[in-house]
Amino acid sequence: MEADVLIVGAGPAGISAALTAEKFGAKVILIDESFSPGGQLRQQTQYFSNLPTGYAPDIGLKVIETLIKHLYASSVQVYTNHTMIGAYKNGMIGVTDGNKTFPILARANILAPGAQEEAKIFPGWTLPGVMTAGAAQILINRESVLPGKRAVMIGTNNFAFTVAKQLHDCGVTIEAFIEEKSQITCSDGILRDELKHVPVWTESTVQIAQGTGQVERVSVHTPEGRKEIDVDLICISNGFTPILEPFVIMDCELTYKKHLGGWVPLYNEKLQTTNPSCFIAGNAAGITDLGPILLTGEIAAISALEEIGILNSEEAEIERRKRWLELEKLENTAVCQARKNLIASSRSRQSPLTKSK
Amino acid sequence: MEKSTIVCRCEEINIEEIELAIKNGARTFDDIKRLTRCGMGPCQAKICMNPVREIIATYTNTPLEDIPPPRLRMPAIPVRLGALANGVEDFKESSIASVFGESVEDGDEQNDESV
Amino acid sequence: MVMNKMTKVFDCIIIGSGVVGSSIAYHLSERKKYEILLIDKSYPLSGTSGSTQAWVWVHSKTPNWYGELSMYSAELYAYLEKKIGDFEYKRTGGIAPFYNEGDRDKALKLAEEQGKVGIKIDVLTRDEVLEKEPAVSPKIAGATFSKWDGNLNPFRLVELYIRAAKKNGVQCSFYNRVTSIKKVRGIFHVETEQGVFQGNNVILAGGPWSKELGKMLGVYIPVRQVRGQILITEPLKPFLKYTIGGVRQTDNGEVLIGYSKEEVGYDRRTTLDVMQQTARMAIDLVPALAKANIVRAFSGIRVIPEDGLPIFGEIPGIKGAYIAVMHSGITLSAIVGTLMTELLIDGETSLDISRYSLKRFSNLPNRKI
Repeated sequence: MEADVLIVGAGPAGISAALTAEKFGAKVILIDESFSPGGQLRQQTQYFSNLPTGYAPDIGLKVIETLIKHLYASSVQVYTNHTMIGAYKNGMIGVTDGNKTFPILARANILAPGAQEEAKIFPGWTLPGVMTAGAAQILINRESVLPGKRAVMIGTNNFAFTVAKQLHDCGVTIEAFIEEKSQITCSDGILRDELKHVPVWTESTVQIAQGTGQVERVSVHTPEGRKEIDVDLICISNGFTPILEPFVIMDCELTYKKHLGGWVPLYNEKLQTTNPSCFIAGNAAGITDLGPILLTGEIAAISALEEIGILNSEEAEIERRKRWLELEKLENTAVCQARKNLIASSRSRQSPLTKSK
Repeated sequence: MEKSTIVCRCEEINIEEIELAIKNGARTFDDIKRLTRCGMGPCQAKICMNPVREIIATYTNTPLEDIPPPRLRMPAIPVRLGALANGVEDFKESSIASVFGESVEDGDEQNDESV
Repeated sequence: MVMNKMTKVFDCIIIGSGVVGSSIAYHLSERKKYEILLIDKSYPLSGTSGSTQAWVWVHSKTPNWYGELSMYSAELYAYLEKKIGDFEYKRTGGIAPFYNEGDRDKALKLAEEQGKVGIKIDVLTRDEVLEKEPAVSPKIAGATFSKWDGNLNPFRLVELYIRAAKKNGVQCSFYNRVTSIKKVRGIFHVETEQGVFQGNNVILAGGPWSKELGKMLGVYIPVRQVRGQILITEPLKPFLKYTIGGVRQTDNGEVLIGYSKEEVGYDRRTTLDVMQQTARMAIDLVPALAKANIVRAFSGIRVIPEDGLPIFGEIPGIKGAYIAVMHSGITLSAIVGTLMTELLIDGETSLDISRYSLKRFSNLPNRKI
């Protein structure tokens, strides 16, 4: 298999990158490990309004439906059930479809593997019935399975409230939010309001989850003392962290940026990693919202096309700057600032964007 | 938190075992991994990566950003050996040696190399 | 922390805490005569000793006196385990398959040679191999077999060596790179990132890094670095009884696969090229493995002396300076630790080790430092 650009990961960032690259005339291969493109957006039933130009505000799964429709109408070659598992000596990405493993020869790669949820450990966290908020969301929105009847949500970030609201809408009783910090971290006032009947226990931590073969009870350490409630579902929303494996496999340097989700690949304003043939897009480049995710896909595609000579530098610079300006408007300030710091630190590297073995 | 709390669910390694490794001089996730098998199971530290880093940070009083992730290895996800063997028709060169072959070559190792 | 580093003179400073260095530290400390310091640039098991299939492999080591040394080490492991604890040593017996009937004569010759030193080798037919180990592919023509071969858990072995050594008073300084070694008025000054240590004797046990350590003493150590890549399966039900040339199953059911060789310096990356070649080798040897999931690949940098044979003993021309570097450190650590201890403390060894001296390379044409 050969292409101008290989894109790994067909979530919103990967699809956005693929459509952008195709629009500018590149031959594109897009692979994803799942049976369908769309990534995590496929189970997002919440409404997204903060989207780039050209996108109509809608609930997540409608946004992705439209993108997938465009994707299949384009010349992008989409391979689902294809997973990047490694790299060859010559730097080519190796992919498996479960029956065979083979290289895909591309002049540039865009890696958009997304993010994974952070675990949180406490006694009993390995019991069935304890799961990440994202796992609970997949169960209700994609599999139509109710993960429990009575739940607590650990964490009060936006995703915690989003999933709690969706669980609540499915008939799950949310008994409480459990928050280590002194106040709710969710910034969405409407969401908070919709769930104002749910008690929020701040400065609180789970002491232990108990049950026989399945979680039945949770004890929580709160400032008012120990609280114990019967639950059959404990959801953990402890934030997201970039998926790093593809970047490590491709010898991309990592750096630490708390506000981008922890360890994250180093990249410059072209979204080019320290391996010059690899570009980065989506949550892997820093945990952010859907609008910026879509824009990083476009920026990475433009830069990849510049790298292989399909776009000239001036065109690329103009297209890129347009999107960075839009991204700055859409992105949370702290995240955007961390991103700028990361890009600045890539500039100050001694031997920019070359890496010895 | 109770020291018996599991951190690595694949290999069932608890906080106490990790702290003991750190007490014995381990400083990185990989040091701990080799001593305890923490992170060596099917998920390859995808779940316990940050909980372990947090334990190291707390125990050694080191900022979290100074504790690198474990060495992430191929394959990025588990893959059947058969699927790994298929797909490349002919290897132009092979780096695979043979134990028997070496023993009968009178110590001439050069023949086993292909670089 | 190591105290009094500026003034104290250790009896022996060992550089490198892999399986060879930590074995020497342990065996020396058992005599309770020496004050010993064990230094490592990183943490034990971060190098070659932590990235190996960990065979204790005897029967095909040639010439036969090298096989003999390996056999003695295998013999010692059984006793060692009683002293320092369980490191999962199993003398499983070893099968080295061959694929061409034409190799049978070579196998018989090997059996004859090794037989002279007491290593009994059976040359098996295909059916005999399959009877012993039904999982092996009928594609093989036969195999050499010996009861002497086996394997162990290298993580446990090195950890237990160091634990026992520490209990005996050995001081350890990890995450501390040695930057230079000087001999001043008969005493070695080992300069490290954390200060200078003094020792009456110094032992270089740096494995693949031996060349650099040798340079510090002005000595050329003739070794090559050879990368090996290994695949690990998910835990499988026990189905391999023997250690097979290229494949073995651990106590927890994982199967370790690999026997690749590449000279790429210290580069410890794995590559899909070799992983795929290794996968094919494994299926050719044990077809049932095709269904097993590979969860991880890793690589290790072997150190291989230029003639393939171990180098250990005193460094010619520098009194008090010793070296111990060899390819099969896991196989040989027990015997090498024992012999080095005899050499340092008793001044003589129970086996003649002159064959293993660095001296044998003194006429190398391209000797360079």
